[in-house]
This record gives sequence, structure tokens and C-alpha cells, in this order.
Amino acid sequence: MKKITLKLFRYNPETDTKPHYDTYKLEVEPTDRVLDLLEKVKGYEDGTLSFRRSCAHGVCGSCAMRVNGENKLACKTLIQDIKSSKITVEPILGMPVLKDMIVDMEPFFDNYKKVMPYFINDDPKPEKEHIQSIEEQERFDDTAKCILCGACTTSCPSFWANDEYVGPAAIVNAHRFIFDSRDQGAAERLQILNDQFGVYRCRTIFNCTLACPREIEITKAIGEVKKAIATGSLD
Amino acid sequence: MTSRKVAKRGFNLDYVMWLFMRLSALAMYAVGLTGLTAALVMGARTQTDLSTLVRWTFFQNPSHVFSSDIVVLDNFINQFWQIMQITMVFFGVTHGLNGLRIVVEDFMGSTIWRTLWRGFIFFAWIFITLVAIYVVLAS
Ligand code: SF4
Ligand code: FES
Repeated sequence: MKKITLKLFRYNPETDTKPHYDTYKLEVEPTDRVLDLLEKVKGYEDGTLSFRRSCAHGVCGSCAMRVNGENKLACKTLIQDIKSSKITVEPILGMPVLKDMIVDMEPFFDNYKKVMPYFINDDPKPEKEHIQSIEEQERFDDTAKCILCGACTTSCPSFWANDEYVGPAAIVNAHRFIFDSRDQGAAERLQILNDQFGVYRCRTIFNCTLACPREIEITKAIGEVKKAIATGSLD
Repeated sequence: MTSRKVAKRGFNLDYVMWLFMRLSALAMYAVGLTGLTAALVMGARTQTDLSTLVRWTFFQNPSHVFSSDIVVLDNFINQFWQIMQITMVFFGVTHGLNGLRIVVEDFMGSTIWRTLWRGFIFFAWIFITLVAIYVVLAS
């Protein structure tokens, strides 16, 4: 068992005029995750604490939050991996806070929708399936791992400065379809991203790559999209 | 991989400037290194100091030669160096002011201030470039 001090961002729009922090002293196992600590506080100390979570296994993307200043999935962050015995948990930056750790994800999903993140193919349906080679699949394997947690976009200073920027997550998901050999919407998506608030707002800061809990090489993917726009080729 | 066709878009300032920022940075290195190398070859190696070399890197103006005591002035007063200076001025001013435009667009949403700043930057670009070209040609 390890003693830790947990400092939580609190904001309830119905009772608070501005946010504050609450501190809790907890005894935890090194193998506990930050999500377990939040559950402990919610279950035993203060039932009004609000946060999103669903799968608790790093696949649904609901629980992105700032842990000691870094964007993490609460359900994937082990206490033993956090150096300090003081843990501060805050909502992700750049989006309006609705309550405690819950932010309004609408702007994020609006940007996501802009890049047409769905399969486009106008050919007659094949009898069984669209065939793809292993190499063709590997071309977008990395970006297909995205769980839409928003950790990348909300760690991006360019997005903080101007939320009209579609953000890294939207570009990652565009990349997933642009480089899919079965898809036919690449030219449209590249045109959408060839815009003032498309790829050109990326300044290769690399915060997104560091933040991604799925370890997607986001800056590289954005670079590939930029290259496709500049050369007009998907190779 | 086949792709649906999309209608070609006309002039896209952000695309053009994105390419320009990369190419102009390389071009400025090329112009700067040419100026620096030429100054050294043409006599600056023994009659100059660091600040003169820096001036020769960024702005190869003959008036800089006077202050660095280079004997063979004729080598520097010709059209080649004037073109080099104008190139450096054009790339430098355009690169810098486009950077400012990007900063403005980062921090000002779609407001009247953004439009005003963009207008101001455009006129500053024309004005500074013309004045600099005048200085090059008149010196
Ligand atoms: S790219 Fe990574 S950080 Fe960004 S939304 Fe997808 S999973 Fe989350
Ligand atoms: S709860 Fe699903 S990713 Fe954390």
C-alpha cells in the first residue's frame, strides 16, 4: 500500500462561480490506476464527482484527462508509473468544462465529422468482401488504432490558440481512410485538409504524438497527409 | 488506388505560402552563403570582422564594403549583387510577414480584427519591399 495525495479539479456549474480543487488522502496499491482512485473518491468520499469512463480498459476513449499536467487515459495510467506521491487530475484543455473532468466534446466531434471519417466506395458491391493485401493494410494500420479520446487534439497549442483548426485527431482519422486502398474519397478529404484550418495549422510541435495513449505516430501521419497534398500522390 | 474526382480549387493562399515558407528558408540559406563565400573570396578574409561578415551574409550592399576596407570595390557594385540583395529582401520580408499573418490567424478568430491585421500586413509587405528595393538600387 502506498499513501498518496489526490488533488482533483472540481467545477459544478449549478453551484460554483469558478472552479476549485479538492484534496483527498488515499491508500492505494501500486497497480491501481488513476481511474480506480477516482472511483474510490466517487464511491466513498463524494458521490458528486463527475468523470467519463466506460470500458476501463483503454479502448473506448472516454477517460482522457490531465494527470499531473499530461494528457492520459485514467484507466491506463498506473500509480506505480507516476513518480510523485501527489497526483493532480484535471480535465483536458481547450474545450469547455461541463462538470469536474467532463468537457464538452462537441467541437472535437464537429471537427472529426468534417473529414468524412467513413468508408467511401462507389463501385458495385463485391460478392464477398473488398480484398486488400497485407501491405496495403499496413499503410494505415497505425492510424486505424485511434479510439477518439481527444488526448492529442487537446494537447495541441495550435488547437488551444484557435479551435477552428480541425486538430490532430481529425487528421489521423482522415489519414486512416485517405491511405486505405479500398476507399475512393482521398481527393475530397485532401481538399478539405488543404485549408487554412486544415493541415497548415500543424507546426510539428509533437505534443499529440507524446499524448496519444495508443502510441500512434500522429505527427508522422500529418506529415504524410501534407506530403500527399503537396505532391498529389498517395504513394 | 482510385479516387473520386474533385473539382480543382483556384488559388489557395495557405497552400502556396506553406510551400513558400519552406522553399524561401532554403533560398535564404543559399543567398546568404553565396554572399558570405563571395565576400571571403573577394578579400574580406583579411579586412573584416564578424559584424561585417554577418552584414555580407544577409545584405550584400556595396556600402558595407566601404566600412570593411575591401580594396576591390568594383567586384561588389554590379547587378548580380543587386539581384542577390533584392532576392534576400523579398524572401526575408515575405517569409517574416507571412509568419506574422499566421500568428494573427492563430489568435484572432473570424473577427474584424483579423481582417484589419491581414490588410495591414499586406500593405506593410508592399511598402517594406518597395523601400528596400529602392535602397538597394539607389546605393
Ligand atoms: S490519435 Fe491517439 S490521442 Fe488522438 S484521439 Fe486518437 S487515440 Fe486519442
Ligand atoms: S474508460 Fe475506456 S478508455 Fe478509459
